[in-house]
Amino acid sequence: MKFLCLECNTAMQFKEATKPDQGALTAIFECPDCFAEFAMHMNPWETQMLKSLNVQLGGRTEAAQPMQMVRSFLNEQAGETHPSDNIPQTTTNMTPEAEGGKCPFTSVVADAFQEPELTGPVWTPEALARLEHVPSFVRPMAKTSIEEFARENGHTNITSEVMDSARGNFGM
Amino acid sequence: MKTYKDLPSDGGSDIVGQVTQQAIRLQKRLASVRHTVAIMSGKGGVGKSLMTANLASALGLRGHNVGVVDADINGPSIAKMMGVRSARINYDSDGVEPAVNPLGVKVMSMDLFLKNDETPVLWEAQTQKDAFTWRGAMEVTALREFLSDTEWGVLDYLFIDLPPGSDRLANLVDLLPTLGGIIVVTIPSGVSQLVVKKSLTMARKLPNIPVIGIIENMSAYICASCGETEDLFPNGDTEETAHQFNIPLLAKIPFDPRISIAADDGANFLEHNFETPVGKTIIEVGKKIETFFDNKTANMQRSDP
Repeated sequence: MKFLCLECNTAMQFKEATKPDQGALTAIFECPDCFAEFAMHMNPWETQMLKSLNVQLGGRTEAAQPMQMVRSFLNEQAGETHPSDNIPQTTTNMTPEAEGGKCPFTSVVADAFQEPELTGPVWTPEALARLEHVPSFVRPMAKTSIEEFARENGHTNITSEVMDSARGNFGM
Repeated sequence: MKTYKDLPSDGGSDIVGQVTQQAIRLQKRLASVRHTVAIMSGKGGVGKSLMTANLASALGLRGHNVGVVDADINGPSIAKMMGVRSARINYDSDGVEPAVNPLGVKVMSMDLFLKNDETPVLWEAQTQKDAFTWRGAMEVTALREFLSDTEWGVLDYLFIDLPPGSDRLANLVDLLPTLGGIIVVTIPSGVSQLVVKKSLTMARKLPNIPVIGIIENMSAYICASCGETEDLFPNGDTEETAHQFNIPLLAKIPFDPRISIAADDGANFLEHNFETPVGKTIIEVGKKIETFFDNKTANMQRSDP
């Protein structure tokens, strides 16, 4: 779909999307000339169709992970996964509560709509640089674990020292 | 007022571009696969997955590198038949390692991701009401991920075991326009013949994708005690169907309880039964598949020197 500002006869640009509300997603577009905005509400079936394509609104900023859609489905059915597999959990910036239930594609949705961090510790540049040394495949899992450790221990910033503490706590 | 074509983009999401990238990824992944073969039927319960598993084994026994994709997302059975249900799923940044059976056949199936026999593939959503609107797209995406995200490596043959229904082939060809060929499985019942004709009509509508042939499964019953052969379904005529559609009848495969037992056990039927009538016939079909692709390759080389 493409959107046209009738006033300016200009293509509207994707601006942002809101958190799913009972399965309905909202995408906001803006005219780059007059800055008029409009919201497109998608019903749950349209939302689900978008998820099924495994695409990102606003453009994909990084390559999709292998089996991303199947994994998203499996993450939400954690109890349903094969007992012997070693599927790393894809991460989202949202808590399960904030994600609004058991939708299996919350990670995809969060990515698609580029949800900001709700709350949580802030990574210092030094710590982020260090995180980059973690193999990319396990990096999301490591990041989430360190953030959880920081929250549980009252750290508002994740520094290199916090990473060391987390590492010690994980027995690594 | 500007029209759709006048607008340069969809506002920054580039959905078409993202879908194109998915197709390119699939194309790159399968670049090391020489031949892709879809196994289809019109009707369920004709032994299509059983044939897929055994044809894969036949070609594996003949020294080929073989893979199997279980495209039946909701009713996966290939992993069990090929004895790989307990395989670990290992991911890396580029893909997923397939399960590998003792013969070296690589397998990817939804069954490998499910916890137990009772776990269904239920695509969760805010509401399941009117799920028909998106469920099909979800299954196609899962199949695309199986094809493009599995680390197949170099394969001579990749079999794709389709679920019943003539529409599934069209979905596969949308994903894989370079599909090498189609094998249709039926049984000699009048009902199955009726439905398989619809599948064959659908297959013939697809441009540049040949039907390798038709296999009649359960063509007869061989008595384990006396060796007498009797018809199981006297009403259908697969030879007539093959003639009507001008496609080869690859084989008429009698029913042998041992092949069913082997499938239930995840054992390789051909390993110990290659000299039985059923074993010999399946291996012959494997040879016919080889010949088909040898001829196809030769024809392509002749037309494109």
